[in-house]
Amino acid sequence: MEFGNSGSLSEDGIHLDMDRLKKGEVNLGTSIMAVTFKDGVILGADSRTTTGAYIANRVTDKLTRVHDTIWCCRSGSAADTQAVADIVQYQLGMFAMTNGKPPTTQTAAAIFQEICYANKDRLSAGLIIAGWDERHGGQVYSIPLGGSLHKQTYAIGGSGSTYIYGYCDTHWQEGMEEKEAVEFVKEALKEAIKWDGSSGGVIRMVVLTAKGADRHLYLPDTDYKVRHST
Amino acid sequence: MTSIGTGYDLANSIFSPDGRNFQVEYAVKAVENGGTSIGIRCKDGVVLAVEKVVASKLLKQGANKRIATVDRHLGVVYSGMVPDGRHFVDRSRDEALAWRDTFKTPIPTADLASRMGGYMQAYTLYQSVRPFGITAIVGGFDSELELPVDGEVGSGPAVGAGGKTAGKKHGGPFLYMIEPSGLYWGYYGAAAGKGRQVAKAELEKLDLGGAGELSLEQAVKEAARIIYLSHDDVKDKKFELEMSWISGADGPTKGKHQEVPKALREEAEKEAERLAKKAVEGDDDDDDDDDSDDDKKDGDKMEE
Amino acid sequence: MDHRPQAWGRPRDDIYGAYDGSYLQTTGPKQNTQAPVVTGTSVVALKFKDGVVIAADNLASYGSLARFTDVKRLRVFLDTSVVGFGGDVSDMQYLDRHLNELAIDESYETDPSAPDAGALNAANLHKYLQKLMYKRRNDFDPLWNQILVAGLDSGSKPFLASVDLRGTAFSSPSLASGFGAALAQPIMRKYAATEEDAAKLSREDAVKVVQECMKVLYYRDARSMDKYSIAVVTKEGVELKEDEQLEKQSWAFAERIRGYGTQTV
Repeated sequence: MEFGNSGSLSEDGIHLDMDRLKKGEVNLGTSIMAVTFKDGVILGADSRTTTGAYIANRVTDKLTRVHDTIWCCRSGSAADTQAVADIVQYQLGMFAMTNGKPPTTQTAAAIFQEICYANKDRLSAGLIIAGWDERHGGQVYSIPLGGSLHKQTYAIGGSGSTYIYGYCDTHWQEGMEEKEAVEFVKEALKEAIKWDGSSGGVIRMVVLTAKGADRHLYLPDTDYKVRHST
Repeated sequence: MTSIGTGYDLANSIFSPDGRNFQVEYAVKAVENGGTSIGIRCKDGVVLAVEKVVASKLLKQGANKRIATVDRHLGVVYSGMVPDGRHFVDRSRDEALAWRDTFKTPIPTADLASRMGGYMQAYTLYQSVRPFGITAIVGGFDSELELPVDGEVGSGPAVGAGGKTAGKKHGGPFLYMIEPSGLYWGYYGAAAGKGRQVAKAELEKLDLGGAGELSLEQAVKEAARIIYLSHDDVKDKKFELEMSWISGADGPTKGKHQEVPKALREEAEKEAERLAKKAVEGDDDDDDDDDSDDDKKDGDKMEE
Repeated sequence: MDHRPQAWGRPRDDIYGAYDGSYLQTTGPKQNTQAPVVTGTSVVALKFKDGVVIAADNLASYGSLARFTDVKRLRVFLDTSVVGFGGDVSDMQYLDRHLNELAIDESYETDPSAPDAGALNAANLHKYLQKLMYKRRNDFDPLWNQILVAGLDSGSKPFLASVDLRGTAFSSPSLASGFGAALAQPIMRKYAATEEDAAKLSREDAVKVVQECMKVLYYRDARSMDKYSIAVVTKEGVELKEDEQLEKQSWAFAERIRGYGTQTV
């Protein structure tokens, strides 16, 4: 696939080689995570988007809403993950209207997985789905590259995650209070940002509980100490 | 026959001036000739039962089932034209499968009823088709437990998921009846076919509904009794009793739609036969037996 | 960046070289042969007197990263057969859902006591999976798994067979996929080289042999872990345990190992 010969000749005689185009693609060389806690789930992410070594966007929002209290963390190709998230947002919106009840996190995870699995040879998308619903509470699902679906207590993803497997494993506790869980996510992402060149910028979080979605923002120039809430 | 279509009954999708669709009404007549089928929704499950009329002695006993499984947790029984019913079942299975394919979870009973109601209604709209000659009773038990995604691996926190809304119940037993017009309602007790008058009267006497205390096993016995009672030994052909049930995950069928075990069915049947005989003898004391059939017919008209 | 719109989306000549026109002539084959991404390692299984023992660890690897440690790779089919999956986990999940639909088809027969109810035994299931896997490889879109099917055949005799991503299938008194083919098979063959040997093996012994195999695999397979699932299939049904821990491991001898040759301290 390195130098594939797929492509087509467009009207003006310009040959578009899809495989090569992919090479220059905007990549979310990322640190993302989602954790369950006592009252729901928390999603967290850095804000760096890179094209090779160039930072294409330093304040990216990688936490994407697909329904009121079902969100996802995106890693991999920005274009692919945005397209997938858009489709799922549409589907869940339709689900809520036609069934007269909000979708569950499982519904979202199932739709995400089908898209990722059926198009596995076209997509580079690593997703974490996290949501809250009144029946199942807070839940976290991970969909890595091949399109498999994994239910988890907490999930980490993106290039930066490889540096924090150890940190997360030793510091993880089930059923934390919200404050503790926010601290866990923040400290883990701080480590990822520190060691991964493809991760950086601000730390964004979304807390999903019975009360709805609550955004957090932490900035590097204050050492991620102050919450700039929105 | 009291009403004649005067030309408005020749095709579907044509209203009569007084706002009736005669084809649908004739379809209802087809149902009224079919063997009685009933459904009971009690606190811990659903029972479906049907009076399977034995059309010929040459048919194998216990073969040619009339109650069908649509998905693990869903069953369907119907009164009326059997081929129509078979098609209804096929379509129901397709719907259940399509739901599983998109949402990777079993279809809730209410959603199946809604989809099949829509399907039957579509057959009242077009010149080229006729309405279904059946009334279908759909029973299901939607899981009360957390619903996984089909095929998922891994597990959530050992302490259980956080932030669930406390005190809310989810899932449970459900029962729907869909008529040829496409109309459907949720029921605690539903009856269709020849003996529905008697059956409905009996169902109303049962302790169903919100605080209903009838257990699933009692419901099986009641179902058998009602089918036997609604059957007219003198006028009707011989029949076989067919019954199925669905309990929750902790009940006898473990959330699955299954035929009632032979032993339990036979026990229920024996008692039902005895009670039905007693009821008939009681009737004989009261009034002239020959008229009772006509009375029933009048009752039919009032009801529908 | 070249600011002429005509050049947008086009590989830059100064980086990629002038455009090679031969690309236009060749219409390459449609490629949808993927590679496995999240993978499970070996599955091992052994027949005994009354049935089959089958085991697989609970790890799903992402390359060399031990990414998911709670992935159950033994799936029960119709309470009568067990399917063990090695290879790609997303394809395993696809097959699991597919088999679930197959099992629902079977439940359309409402009477569990009917003489032909539950007629889809392990042998039938294995044949079905073989056809499925072979079809997918002919479509150049294989399901990246090696599968072991354990259960009983139509004569209620123990049944064990495998099928891989090419649709290649075979049967043997003992089977192992992946690393297990090299490490576990020799051990199991010591106890059940032939069908006759397997028919003499007790359930307890078979379980013990399989547990031993899982231990050896944990010692020597770098994509394995010490938590595993084990199932025993007999006429009575399936007994599945999914959170087993490898016991009685041998590591203490490391104390006697000093240096790499002549060193003694």
